[in-house]
Amino acid sequence: MKNYELQDVEKPNLVEDIFPYSLPPLIRFEGKIHETIDGKIVEFDPNEVKTRDIHLTDTTFRDGQQARPPYKKEQMVKLFEMLSRLGGPNGVIRQSEFFLYTKNDRDTIDECRNLNLKFPEITGWIRANKGDFRLVKEMGLKETGMLTSSSDYHIFHKQNQTRKQAMDQYVEVVEAALEAGIRPRCHLEDVTRADLPGFVFPFVQRLERLTENQPDDMKVKIRLCDTMGFGLSYPNAAEPRSIPKLIWRLRNECGITADRLEWHGHNDFHKVHINGASAWIYGLNALNGTLFGLGERCGNPPLEGAIIEYVAMKESLCGIDLTVITELAEYYDKVINSRIAPNYPFVGKDFNTTRAGIHAGGLRKFEQIYNIFDTTALLNRPPRVSITDKSGTDGIALWVNEFLQLKGDDRLSVMKVAKIQRWVMDQYEIDGRMSSITDEELEEQVKIQLPEQYAIFKQKN
Amino acid sequence: MTRQEIAERVIKTTARELHLNTSDIKESDNFAMELGADSLKSIELVAAFEEDFDLSVNEEEALQVQSVGGAIDFFDSIINKK
Repeated sequence: MKNYELQDVEKPNLVEDIFPYSLPPLIRFEGKIHETIDGKIVEFDPNEVKTRDIHLTDTTFRDGQQARPPYKKEQMVKLFEMLSRLGGPNGVIRQSEFFLYTKNDRDTIDECRNLNLKFPEITGWIRANKGDFRLVKEMGLKETGMLTSSSDYHIFHKQNQTRKQAMDQYVEVVEAALEAGIRPRCHLEDVTRADLPGFVFPFVQRLERLTENQPDDMKVKIRLCDTMGFGLSYPNAAEPRSIPKLIWRLRNECGITADRLEWHGHNDFHKVHINGASAWIYGLNALNGTLFGLGERCGNPPLEGAIIEYVAMKESLCGIDLTVITELAEYYDKVINSRIAPNYPFVGKDFNTTRAGIHAGGLRKFEQIYNIFDTTALLNRPPRVSITDKSGTDGIALWVNEFLQLKGDDRLSVMKVAKIQRWVMDQYEIDGRMSSITDEELEEQVKIQLPEQYAIFKQKN
Repeated sequence: MTRQEIAERVIKTTARELHLNTSDIKESDNFAMELGADSLKSIELVAAFEEDFDLSVNEEEALQVQSVGGAIDFFDSIINKK
């Protein structure tokens, strides 16, 4: 057994090389990951994500819109513009896919194009039939996704086809795309429930032969659609659920390069974010997501969560403007009228709000104790405290000092806010209150109990 | 201000805030254990001392004081700069 001795240090070790606070906590790896495939050990180097061109692709207007009432055209154009700013000039949000079926869909694409933004690139989404493909040609898109369902659940029970019929139909549309100079992106629907050696790998190899003589920007792309959220990132999970094995075989046995592989997840088993991030680590470049994870049933990888994961992996903002996440959340709340759960990470009303007095005490003494990173600088969201009978005098002091915008020695002690805390406790103990104290009520108490400080604050604001 | 004067004022303020008789309060009494001051009451007591002595004290140092005698010594050291 290794013996560990207490190191009674004079200065705290805040592990700042991993937790810089000015960025989300960094993601670092020590050594390789090993996976058993066909009885042999294969190796993955997770540190490749530091240098590989991993990026995000957006499906807010396709899968995201399948799960909600349609967005208005002007809403989609505004969201598209914000996605561009969020992803920044390096195109961390590289592409965004759109439906092409209605006039509204097509008008929206035209208006987004008129913004003349370099990123995200607009791509289409169609079912794999020639009628749908005509829409892509008419819109003049350079790339389109096409639904190429890969499990027998879909081929036999939805499409009423044999595997050969399905494959021939898919290939026919891919060939039409290539003839028209449009890059095909085949969406392997339900791939984590498919017969991989019996259908998926032969299909992908056939696609690869089709485009082997094409220039790089015309070679077929493969989107791995974990349609029901069955994918597993655990080491040595069995196929077809294993994400590492799927990516490894597509790269090493089918010849699909990382830049042509994309992960599209679903959250039916709460695995959507970690599966997407793991897919990056196991060797594909594109992670497909939607704003706030809105998508069919339980949703898709949340784009804003993935972009924070990206920053943590790259250890740099890479031109990303994370404050746009807060803008997007406000837009959904105020304009789109779509509510986000208060405890939803990074954007929910309470994501960095504490109610416990003991946490408020910590937050007041040293913000980093109970704030995940510098949410004020990175997200324009200072940590907050919600006042109840459990938030304590420390909570009141934190709320009042933040409200009055007091810094350093000007910040008020718990003694100065004790009368407000007594009023709060009386609300619960004498009046039997069951709800949180509102900001408006607290402001009124500040006005009554701290009239001098309140007057100075009002003069400044 | 002498220590005796400070002691009288601390005991008077303590009695008022905790609804006790001054004769019931001894220097050895612990605010929480003997006099029944919970955490909010302790803060209110320090706030009352601040008002009565017309000064502001360091929050952490003040809240570490446990007993009546400790409070008398604490304010004596501030007022008489010991």
